[in-house]
Amino acid sequence: MQEKKGYVSFVLHAHLPFIHHPESDDYLEESWLYEAISETYIPLLTNFQKLVDEGVNFRITMSMTPPLLSMLDNKLLQKKYINYLNQLIELSEKEIKRTAGDERLNQLAHYYFDRYSNDLHLFKDVYKCNLIEAFKHFQDIGVLEIITCGATHGYFPILYVNEKTVKAQIAVGVQTYERYFGRKPRGIWLPECGYVPEADKYLKEFGIDYIITETHGILYADPTPLYGTFAPIVSPEGVIAFGRDIESSRQVWSSINGYPGDFNYREFYRDIGYDADYDYIKPYIAHNGVRVHTGIKYYRITGKTEFKDYYNIQWAKDSAEKQAGHFLDCRTAQIGNLVQYTENPPIVLCPYDAELYGHWWYEGPYWLYILFKKIYYDDCNFELITPSEYIDKYPNMQVCSPCRSSWGANGYSEVWLNPTNDYVHRHLHVAGDRMCELAHLYPNAEGLKKEALNQCARELLLAQSSDWLFIITNGTMVDYAKKRIKDHIGRFTKLYYQIKDDEIDEEFLEDIGEKDCVFADIDYMIYY
Amino acid sequence: MPRKTKETNEIIKQAKSSNTADVAKKESPKTTAKNTKSVAKKSTAKKDTTSKSKPATKKTSTTKSVAKKTSATSKTVATKKTTTKKTTSKTTATKTASKKSTTTKKKADTKSTTKKVLTKKSTAKKQKVDIVEYYDLPYRYNQTVVKVLAQTPNNLFIYWDISDADRENYKKQYGENFFETTKPVLIIHNTTLNYSFEIDINDFANSWYLHVNDSKCDYKIELGRRPIAENPKINTNYIYISTSNEIESPNDHVLFNKEQKMVYFRNTKTGVQVEKPISANLSFIRNMGKIYDNYDIKEFYKVLYKNEDIEEFYDLSNPSSGNPSSGSLSSKFK
Repeated sequence: MQEKKGYVSFVLHAHLPFIHHPESDDYLEESWLYEAISETYIPLLTNFQKLVDEGVNFRITMSMTPPLLSMLDNKLLQKKYINYLNQLIELSEKEIKRTAGDERLNQLAHYYFDRYSNDLHLFKDVYKCNLIEAFKHFQDIGVLEIITCGATHGYFPILYVNEKTVKAQIAVGVQTYERYFGRKPRGIWLPECGYVPEADKYLKEFGIDYIITETHGILYADPTPLYGTFAPIVSPEGVIAFGRDIESSRQVWSSINGYPGDFNYREFYRDIGYDADYDYIKPYIAHNGVRVHTGIKYYRITGKTEFKDYYNIQWAKDSAEKQAGHFLDCRTAQIGNLVQYTENPPIVLCPYDAELYGHWWYEGPYWLYILFKKIYYDDCNFELITPSEYIDKYPNMQVCSPCRSSWGANGYSEVWLNPTNDYVHRHLHVAGDRMCELAHLYPNAEGLKKEALNQCARELLLAQSSDWLFIITNGTMVDYAKKRIKDHIGRFTKLYYQIKDDEIDEEFLEDIGEKDCVFADIDYMIYY
Repeated sequence: MPRKTKETNEIIKQAKSSNTADVAKKESPKTTAKNTKSVAKKSTAKKDTTSKSKPATKKTSTTKSVAKKTSATSKTVATKKTTTKKTTSKTTATKTASKKSTTTKKKADTKSTTKKVLTKKSTAKKQKVDIVEYYDLPYRYNQTVVKVLAQTPNNLFIYWDISDADRENYKKQYGENFFETTKPVLIIHNTTLNYSFEIDINDFANSWYLHVNDSKCDYKIELGRRPIAENPKINTNYIYISTSNEIESPNDHVLFNKEQKMVYFRNTKTGVQVEKPISANLSFIRNMGKIYDNYDIKEFYKVLYKNEDIEEFYDLSNPSSGNPSSGSLSSKFK
């Protein structure tokens, strides 16, 4: 058995923007949550449980963002998710009949029927609709470390022109975490890995030990870290930064030879929502008749061709197992090479979007399960670890200021600041300044005014969500993202004047309070 | 009284009164039918008016519809509604009067119209009236402001505005044609390397992307104007308007300071910090027999990252934001 010479740390960032529309069933965007529950969160939970049941000692870190927690905790969305599953079960039943003449397709129809039926059982009977508690369980038994994130995933390098708005993102992120997990978070996923040194003092103020940065957040730090991303560094203010390992990232993300592009894996874009006869599929697509993904997909990537072959579950599993072996061998070689150069055992940090696993890369959770089993049972030279455990074992680290950076395209702020979305920033800045103004004008307010001020804070935070800027840049669902920015800035502005004029419209306040029901415990005095 | 958006205010009142009307409906089924109709009509009327979009027209028609509602609903709704109505009319009147005389700040923000109309869910059982909202972002906030953000290590984004009050002051001081006889400029101050340069902008823009040569430097931006035509009241070649916040542009390369011989290590549990010579921490340098003074951290990184091109190591497009419908990731695997 090889001696353990280093560590690998997986960090999955689970985030969705807050989407909650009690006023209508027509918002397609709400289904992002349902898709993520079925394809990512439940598969992760079931694979964690399998590992525990099999006695595999593993470690993983997940950031669960406050908007995601708020949605998972929302009774209406839980109810809608159950409806979503019932629809899919009904559709897969029809699919079993429809595909009776084709054995391979029929097997897949059965697979989807079983899978969605099982999701319904797990969600209702096992998890009692409470996925947060399900994740918390794994934290409580010591295999999962959950960290927090900015309140609404606001992008610090743009918000920090008013530092109080960054402070509020951190404060509410920490507060939300405590509400759901009953303890303080040790780490934070900086939204979009957007690092600015100005945030350090607030991170320390709210008890954050460590952050995750993009690779060059470490490599371009000042002074240059001697061990690159293979050891954490500590900022002069005392915030510890771990950097993303580039080699392992490339293996998963790469568009040329990344794992999720394997030809045996499920093809995301061939969905019966688009492929099936329109009249047949109409009850299961958007209310307005627009074709959308249903989640039932019958094809594998096959190759660079439009002629796709049927998905074969066993082949996909074989590929995942082969790739898990490859990843293990690569890390073993990497750590074997690194260990001679670092003072402490090297750490290879592998951060990914959680939704990559399962939603985009359908076999991702299974790959993770196999990999963790291999790491535990096979002869390799490293162990899994969480950043907190690493800090506790090896508290000595070089003092450096991490580089201002993000994990967006090209490494800085282009995704969230470019000609498609730059018009938004002045509104975010003015609303931030106005929120601080309100806190100073009406400190420690009571009653209706306090409620209105707290709602103002919620609207501001929701407007700051980096997702809207990202979606605009990305060019999909742009209208929705623009509307959300207008709605939150609009509601904020209206309330701002109502508060200043002492003419708060209770019905309006109640109405937007129902729609934007995040952060029940928020205290606007964080802007004071 | 502090300013408020005229239409916003009217609309809020309108919504209030109609919601109150809905309360009345619950009490009297007969009235419900009437009110529903009138609400529907109002919505249509409002939409039409809005699309025609002249502020004055808008105002009149809003006032009208408020008045109509008052009469339509006042029978069934008791005290609360009547009171609300009265207030509404008064406020509207005051606003109408005051609008003309108020400063331009009001005008600017008035553009941030929020229109609220009422729709009723068609189901007979459901009594609740939903407030349907529509917002536009304000065209401007009428503040004198310059803000700078770093888009990349070498690109800054700057936005600015001059309040109408300040514009008037410049006109008073330098004549009515002040803005026609001067041109706007941005002066970029690199306060780290202590140099400045200037670029011409124009009065049609309110933001600018600017290339700067030096990453990892502090910058602040000054907005000013320079004379371009004869103006007897201007006897200087530069008029200062405002200065931005100061930012540091991000670093974009591996730093190597050959002067630096020591690094600091901190025990994050105890807070104890120690100074160590770089050479003692780079065992590979010792192994390779290199002389400390000649070592290059980039060379060291090439050893650490032997499979990577460290000059371009961040050139991975991450599908950030975890938005499952963005399609950004899967498209990479096609």
